[in-house]
Amino acid sequence: MDVYEGLEGEKVLNLSRLNLDNLDLDDVGEERKRDTQQLFLVYNRFIMLPGSICHFSNLVFLDISCNRLAFICEDILRLSKLKTLVAKNNRLDEFSLPKDFGTMSLEVLNFSGNRFEEFPSEFLNLQRLQSLSLGGNRLKSIPAEIEQLTSLELLYLGGNSITSIPPELANLPYLSYLVLCDNRIQSIPPQLAQMNSLRSLSLHNNLLTYLPREILSLFQLQELSLRGNPLVVRFVKDMTYDPPSLLELAGRTVKSRNLPYKPEDLPGNLVRYLDLASKCPNPKCGGVYFDSCVRHIKFVDFCGKYRLPLMHYLCSPECSSPCSSNPQSDADSEDESSVPAHRMQKVLLG
Amino acid sequence: MEQTEVMKPETLNDLIKVLHQIFSSDTVNVEEVQNLMESYESKPEEWMEYAQFDKFRYTRNLVDEGNGKFNLMILCWGEGHGSSIHDHTDSHCFMKLLQGQLKETLFEWPDHKINGGMTKKSERVLQENQCAYIHDSIGLHRVENVSHTEPAVSLHLYSPQFDQCNTFDQRTGHRNTVKMTFWSKYGERTPFVR
Repeated sequence: MDVYEGLEGEKVLNLSRLNLDNLDLDDVGEERKRDTQQLFLVYNRFIMLPGSICHFSNLVFLDISCNRLAFICEDILRLSKLKTLVAKNNRLDEFSLPKDFGTMSLEVLNFSGNRFEEFPSEFLNLQRLQSLSLGGNRLKSIPAEIEQLTSLELLYLGGNSITSIPPELANLPYLSYLVLCDNRIQSIPPQLAQMNSLRSLSLHNNLLTYLPREILSLFQLQELSLRGNPLVVRFVKDMTYDPPSLLELAGRTVKSRNLPYKPEDLPGNLVRYLDLASKCPNPKCGGVYFDSCVRHIKFVDFCGKYRLPLMHYLCSPECSSPCSSNPQSDADSEDESSVPAHRMQKVLLG
Repeated sequence: MEQTEVMKPETLNDLIKVLHQIFSSDTVNVEEVQNLMESYESKPEEWMEYAQFDKFRYTRNLVDEGNGKFNLMILCWGEGHGSSIHDHTDSHCFMKLLQGQLKETLFEWPDHKINGGMTKKSERVLQENQCAYIHDSIGLHRVENVSHTEPAVSLHLYSPQFDQCNTFDQRTGHRNTVKMTFWSKYGERTPFVR
């Protein structure tokens, strides 16, 4: 949503729905050109961004949606104060942008309803970008370089053909609103669980069968939509299990019984191996595993409302119910079977 | 029963006036209200002050309290915003599109003898100025703005007034009672305080 505080009078120029295909500014006085901060050219017949637009030297907001734009010329770079650019429902693609587009100080960019098949690389340099919408395009993926958009708070990518999410997305420190609905996403990288800034996550109408259990740690998340995914409903247990090697069994014993050792006691490669131990996510098990683990889909009551299938790894197929706990283990006390209601206020699982 | 003359309301305020008249009686003629609401041609300048959007989810903005007989409110749906499946606490619900489009999916009440989720009855996309009606006796629905480019604005009338309803999990039919809040009242932002 582009919410822009409406300005009164001379600062707003509305040239929408005028059947324009060029921008003849002869009738616009010099003062008006200088004073205009918001320009609407919506519902016209522009094929290119008119060069005369740079006469509006103090332009902050430009909406040129619903035209026939196939190309945005370099003249736009001269709008040095432009913060918001809305160009919905045009014919733009990743080849339509001028080379130095990334040098602009844009904060809000809305290119929804165009023909982008790839994330335009020019976008990735927009350091000040807070809000980006590419909804309703033809994107097949999100580049890892998205992490360069360090100011990003809102990212709308609904209605594309995206099949996976790069873990680098989790590196965006301020992202609070992430929309990925109506795509073809099959899994969520567990790194997304580190996104403490995330308040709203829209994943409906994708191809998810489960979620990574780490998603429970998104304590700021208040809106989550998961409907229209083929989420596993019945208990599923992966029966394929490669028995652990002798090395692994020895490593498990050392770790789970806290057998003391000093780095000098062992060859370097074994010290490093022991450092790789992963804790079994079953909180009642003090066990660890190295490579040998069992996929397990567990159903968790999400804040007492709905049961979600969460994927995690267990140390052995037997580890699904309380087993003898290691009194010296520091298994965390998080109760997996329910998340406090205040953590998830509105779950739009419907 | 008095027959109210159905005149086309020119403005939103006209519509509200006629609604007050209609609802002064104890019975509701659903068709009459639906036709009346549909006949008002949406003029954005008349409702813009109530159309306050939130970037995270749809908002409910109270317009008129109908002398206690009904609630009239404007809902603002950003791109991709949708509701859960919900009921209407035995009240009449009228929903008119003021801008954009909304998809309405109707569901049967959950039947716990049937496995595999709730049964979808039908779906349709409501166009600008169209007015839909629903009541618990018809079923449940989900309303969503499926557009990725256009926000939507709708005008809702609920009679009698209610401030809580049930939401339903489509996969299991499990229900939850939720309290409904207003984003704004009479054009003024009213943050929810616990």
